[in-house]
Amino acid sequence: MTRKEFLQATAGAVTAYTASPVLNASSAAAERPGPKRGVSFYSYYNDLNVTCTLEDLFAEANDLDTRLYDIGLEVLTGVVEDYPNPSDAWVKKWHDMCAKYHVKPVEFGHWVDSKLYSETEPLNTKESYEQLVQDLRLANRLGFTCARTKLGVIDGQLTPVKNWREFIKMALPVAEKLNVRMLPEIHAPTLLKSKVLDDYVEFIIKEKTTPWFGINVDFGVFQNITSPGRGQPGGQPMKEGTYSKPEDLIPLLPYVHCFHAKFNIMTDDCKCPNIPYDEVIAILKKHNWNGYLLSEYEGEDRSTGGAFAAVRKQHVMLKRLLGEV
Amino acid sequence: MLEKEPVQQRGFHNVFQNGKPVGFQVRYRSTYYRGIWLSMSTGFEVTVDGEKFSGPQIRVTIGGKTYTQEEMKKIGNVQWPNYEAAILTVAKPGGLALGVHEVAVTWGHRTSYIPTNVGILGAPATSTRKLVLVY
Repeated sequence: MTRKEFLQATAGAVTAYTASPVLNASSAAAERPGPKRGVSFYSYYNDLNVTCTLEDLFAEANDLDTRLYDIGLEVLTGVVEDYPNPSDAWVKKWHDMCAKYHVKPVEFGHWVDSKLYSETEPLNTKESYEQLVQDLRLANRLGFTCARTKLGVIDGQLTPVKNWREFIKMALPVAEKLNVRMLPEIHAPTLLKSKVLDDYVEFIIKEKTTPWFGINVDFGVFQNITSPGRGQPGGQPMKEGTYSKPEDLIPLLPYVHCFHAKFNIMTDDCKCPNIPYDEVIAILKKHNWNGYLLSEYEGEDRSTGGAFAAVRKQHVMLKRLLGEV
Repeated sequence: MLEKEPVQQRGFHNVFQNGKPVGFQVRYRSTYYRGIWLSMSTGFEVTVDGEKFSGPQIRVTIGGKTYTQEEMKKIGNVQWPNYEAAILTVAKPGGLALGVHEVAVTWGHRTSYIPTNVGILGAPATSTRKLVLVY
């Protein structure tokens, strides 16, 4: 019996997942199909290293209910001690925490920092490739199977840097070898029906990149009611054409390998009033989409400790919508 | 762990050479949500009781290594992590007087995924705090 199986058995969690005789910490063989819950530690960045440690966040993730399956995790590169070159001892501690708290590494949030040396002279293709591959190797070392590959942009519609196709193509065989999917994040104000998406899909089809290059869709693209903030009360319907409709997602689903479950407000009855989670999740279930929804909280009170309760409320909502209760 | 305020109380003290104060140190943490490659820092300025220090007057210690601000511009493979406050060593012959000082630190950085024309994220921002110098 592995350490993980022992911990799960002693916690009383009896599931098909834990019953697998070949299960180990890196095996995803007996995974529950369909959309699953996860969390990005980005939600808690105001608290990390100030009011709590990284292990406290693992314990918090565990408390989002890991009885049915291990909760998915996204972290950003900065949580890795001595990034980009953590010690073997730290990497072992990382895997031990994942096992102890029933957390499954899903997505490594990283950047291709095109403005590394200059605001106006972006990194060349070779430099971009080297930065990208450095992070893919680390993602694999930490057990991640997706990388939120944030590309540098050149305009207000978040069009990526001109040479993105070149360095992504160079990295495809490396991503395959390391079992890590490269996923730029589709984030508001980008629309799902837009040239930015058309360009990504054209590249994905032409270069046959699936699954090693795809997209991560941020639920913020579906937000249709304004949120409170910057002195505004929020609650105003947004102008048609400034947000994406849930059904716009359907043709993209084959290329989406995980979602950022973005939210910025939760009511006390555990509902998200300005993003149509119910409609989007119904689409994911209907189309048999398989993967993780990684909570990303950006509410106003996150700088004053509000993220913990907000994420917990969102997970009550997600459990209801996913049929886990 | 770190204090919530970017400018940290602990670590504010004079630095000495041959027993004589030649400057002071103050620790500062980044509240940006990710670590920053040293080359993406656009520079630190420190103001104490209205007296401003910048450029070569400030050296920056991160991960146990000390850099001039000019050196940092060329280092694209070392990160300043969120879990560590940078130690700013400021040259000031005679150092600072014991007691309370108003200390302001201004810092900014580049952001690759925000277009230049709306690049407000990372623009230099100033954090001010009253700190107490004991030695």
